[in-house]
Amino acid sequence: MVRYIVKRLGTSLIVVIGISIVVFVLLHFMAGAPGRSVLGPTASADAVAAFNREHGFDQPLVVQYLSYVSEVLRGNLGQSFKLNQSVSDLLSDNAGRSAMLSLAALVLAVIIAIPLGTYQATKRNSASDTALTGVTFLLYASPQFFIALLAIEIFSIKLGIFPSQASQSNSPFVIFTDPVAMALPVLTLAASNIAVFARYQRSSTLDQLGQDYIKVARAKGVSERGIIRNHLVRNSSLPLITLIGVSVPSLLAGNLIVESVFNYPGLGLLFINSLQREDYPVLLAYTLIGGVLTVLGTLIADVVLAAADPRIKLS
Amino acid sequence: MIETGQPVDREVGRVLDVRDLAIRINAHGQQVEPVAGVSFHLNEGETLGLVGESGCGKSMTGLAIMGMLPPGGSISRGSIALAGDELVGLGERAYRQVRGNDIAMIFQDSMTSLNPTKTIGYQIAEPVRIHRGASNREALERAAEVLSMVGIARPRERMGDYPHQLSGGMRQRVMIAMALACEPKVVIADEPTTALDVTIQAQVLELLDNLKAKLGMSMVLITHDMGVVASRADRVNVMYSGRIAEIAGTEDLFSRTRHPYTRDLLASIPLLGQDRGTALYSIKGIPPDLAERQSGCRYAPRCQNATAKCHEEEPVLAGVSTDHLFACWNPIDGEGVRDQSAQVQIRSAITKDVPTKPRLSLVHLVKEYRGSSSAILGRSLGSVKAVSDVSLTIGAGETYGLVGESGCGKTTLGRMIVGLEAPTSGKVLLDGKSISHVKGRDARHRQREIQMMFQDPYGSLDPRMKVSAILAEPLVIAGQLDAEARRSRVAELLDHVGLPLSALKKLPHEMSGGQRQRIGLARALAVEPRVLVADEPVSALDVSIRSQVLNLMRKLQNELGLTSLVISHDLAVVKYLADRIGVMYLGKLVEEGTGDDIYKRPAHPYTAGLIAAIPEPDPAIERGKPAAGVRGELPSPISPPSGCRFRTRCPMAQEICTTAEPPLAAIQPGHRVACHFPLSAAEAPGGANRAWQQEPHPKRLVLLDE
Repeated sequence: MVRYIVKRLGTSLIVVIGISIVVFVLLHFMAGAPGRSVLGPTASADAVAAFNREHGFDQPLVVQYLSYVSEVLRGNLGQSFKLNQSVSDLLSDNAGRSAMLSLAALVLAVIIAIPLGTYQATKRNSASDTALTGVTFLLYASPQFFIALLAIEIFSIKLGIFPSQASQSNSPFVIFTDPVAMALPVLTLAASNIAVFARYQRSSTLDQLGQDYIKVARAKGVSERGIIRNHLVRNSSLPLITLIGVSVPSLLAGNLIVESVFNYPGLGLLFINSLQREDYPVLLAYTLIGGVLTVLGTLIADVVLAAADPRIKLS
Repeated sequence: MIETGQPVDREVGRVLDVRDLAIRINAHGQQVEPVAGVSFHLNEGETLGLVGESGCGKSMTGLAIMGMLPPGGSISRGSIALAGDELVGLGERAYRQVRGNDIAMIFQDSMTSLNPTKTIGYQIAEPVRIHRGASNREALERAAEVLSMVGIARPRERMGDYPHQLSGGMRQRVMIAMALACEPKVVIADEPTTALDVTIQAQVLELLDNLKAKLGMSMVLITHDMGVVASRADRVNVMYSGRIAEIAGTEDLFSRTRHPYTRDLLASIPLLGQDRGTALYSIKGIPPDLAERQSGCRYAPRCQNATAKCHEEEPVLAGVSTDHLFACWNPIDGEGVRDQSAQVQIRSAITKDVPTKPRLSLVHLVKEYRGSSSAILGRSLGSVKAVSDVSLTIGAGETYGLVGESGCGKTTLGRMIVGLEAPTSGKVLLDGKSISHVKGRDARHRQREIQMMFQDPYGSLDPRMKVSAILAEPLVIAGQLDAEARRSRVAELLDHVGLPLSALKKLPHEMSGGQRQRIGLARALAVEPRVLVADEPVSALDVSIRSQVLNLMRKLQNELGLTSLVISHDLAVVKYLADRIGVMYLGKLVEEGTGDDIYKRPAHPYTAGLIAAIPEPDPAIERGKPAAGVRGELPSPISPPSGCRFRTRCPMAQEICTTAEPPLAAIQPGHRVACHFPLSAAEAPGGANRAWQQEPHPKRLVLLDE
């Protein structure tokens, strides 16, 4: 097991290096030397050239990349020229809050989707199944910003239950300290995942319900509830584990929208602001985090799947 | 005359009494009645066989007794009494007390019937916990006890195993343990051995018999296999289209058959001792569609004895004694079809004395599949030795049969011949020229010369292609005929396989299994190949359809002078179709000879054990048989035993068998065997059986070299 994880981390590293090269090159062609954008349109050409020289932006691309990598390995993700702050500091200020938001949304999605999908499958083609299918499709089809705005309109403006702005606290644990203020961002972020996971859980449960071992359990005298609890859910949730693993990075993307709509100071909001400021070192670091999360998400999913399914051996 | 359907006092000794049971299923707005008025009873301690072809309602009857009809299904009338207590109409909660406790069920496929993520200990203990109110500890204790009862060694160590860690035979034992954990009064075994190999099947059936006697249970044995019924049932119900055709004691049913359907069914089954010179009896037509309304006897359209009355009025189940009942207006009087003179003679295409020139030769053919290995560290976990050095020759116009249990490599061998797999080493020669590892034009040439007929007649036909397109496709690829010529060739093919021209417009799902298999055969023959490889050609078909296809294959073999290789696990099928037979075991060819060599004079202990394990549809043969044939289970093909691969299961194994691999040597012209101690011809076939009679390790056997 440990050996497997070490090996997978090794291959993951190769993937992350690949991602970093692609992102670095793309950014280079988009932005090239950032002197002009940092110093502004009024700066002299000499000043721009001097800035670029000073920060090594006049070097060949390969040299720039290698020096970036060696800095990253030392824990230095570069400098935000616009905010005059190290990127590492910026990220670590915001990462915790974003991670908590994503995690809360993910856990909520799973907690709701598994029972929901299982219920729909056991009541297949009933009125409640059809109605719930309609709702999940609606959630699935709606863009996240639309759900966010709708949620604000209903819960905040009309009903006044939740505030329209997320908590502005600096603590990563605002979700626990101020759950009311965090309710709408978490729900919005969870919504489309609930839809996807529940659909998946429903079809996987239907597959398992058709299996003979369910019939055998019934023949043993196990109650329907016992069948669902002791036989069905574990088997039907197995495919979901992989799906959750690959959806981790998409949470990051969801954060972009949710954090900016609810004005929640996290990585997503930082990314949007950096995009507007053309703050490339921050964008580069954020994209790399996305790559790392993708790789880690699938790795964790594989390990969890192996733990949950005795038929799978990691070797 | 005693007629059923009238109220009769509950008789003593009847543990299960089913009266006038009818089941209705609502599906897609359509109503069907898969079981329409079935009455039978199960006496204490007996085994009642419930036989019939697929769709006859036998499984549905079993599920109804369990109160487990599929969604949309319900009991529309009738009664099911368990030891005098009515089960029909019982509430779900009360029924749960019955299931697994008073009545237990054993299902067919042990792979899908066990929960893959629960230990077998948990799964066996579950009913004990539910019905006995036992604590977890007590229930697990009981599970270990039952596990040892079903013959699993070191049960305590196995309790923590998951289903995928066990072999098919072991899983079926676990299934049985699960069903018997609460010592039910009645066990319903629904095709309990259909998914198993014959040698394992014999072991499992014997176990069921022993446990039944030991625990004083009664058993309903649902099966399509008349051989299984003949060997294990005390009484038999024959079902047809949701009705009971005949009920009789096993001996009576086979020797004094009254219902034409029973007779026809029995006559359609190829026996091991079948005369190859005559065509198999085959029932015309196909079983009726349940959704269609039909008056009169359901079997009438297919029945030779049918009269006008049969088409108008449905016969009732009646008879001169309650022991033997049948639903027929024109019952027969015990004569079998096999004795009838109206048998079609089949002339064999080649005369055995004149050796024909070899058409297909396999030369030291080896196929190994690399095991799962780690890509980065490059460490291989051992390869699966599917086929290990097999050489054989098939003469022009000859039919060669290959038998063996699953995992023996017979299918891989077939796939290598048609080029679906490349051999690891060795080669396949067609008319003396190697056709292995050929590319381009030569590969296309091979495709034309060697064609394959597949097992699953549904899976091997494109569901969106019409028959006309399916049959024309190989001709288009061969590219020798224009559109007009192709059309006439396709029509000719349909005629060959006995299908009407109207079949051209049909899609695969619009045809029956037998018709689809005919299309599969026609497609294989389309480009006039010189060699036909048929892999389990009739395994997926029902008995009455099977004989139709077998007859057709025999006819075409002779008419077209085709060279063919027939692969099957069923020795009777192979023996009927093939001129010569090869027996494979764990990647090796262990014996080769004519059908009579193999059946009457088996020289390899494995062949003899295999024959002993096959249940024959004749109670007289079955009752006289010794205990089940080959013991134990197939060793792993990743690390096969040293020396003779069969030695781990062989009752005659000696020192030399572990060290030296016996070569395939002729003991008589044309009869080759790979064994250090081949059985003597004088001893067989009874002697071959006797080799398996003396347990555990008979040292005294008549051997050739003694």
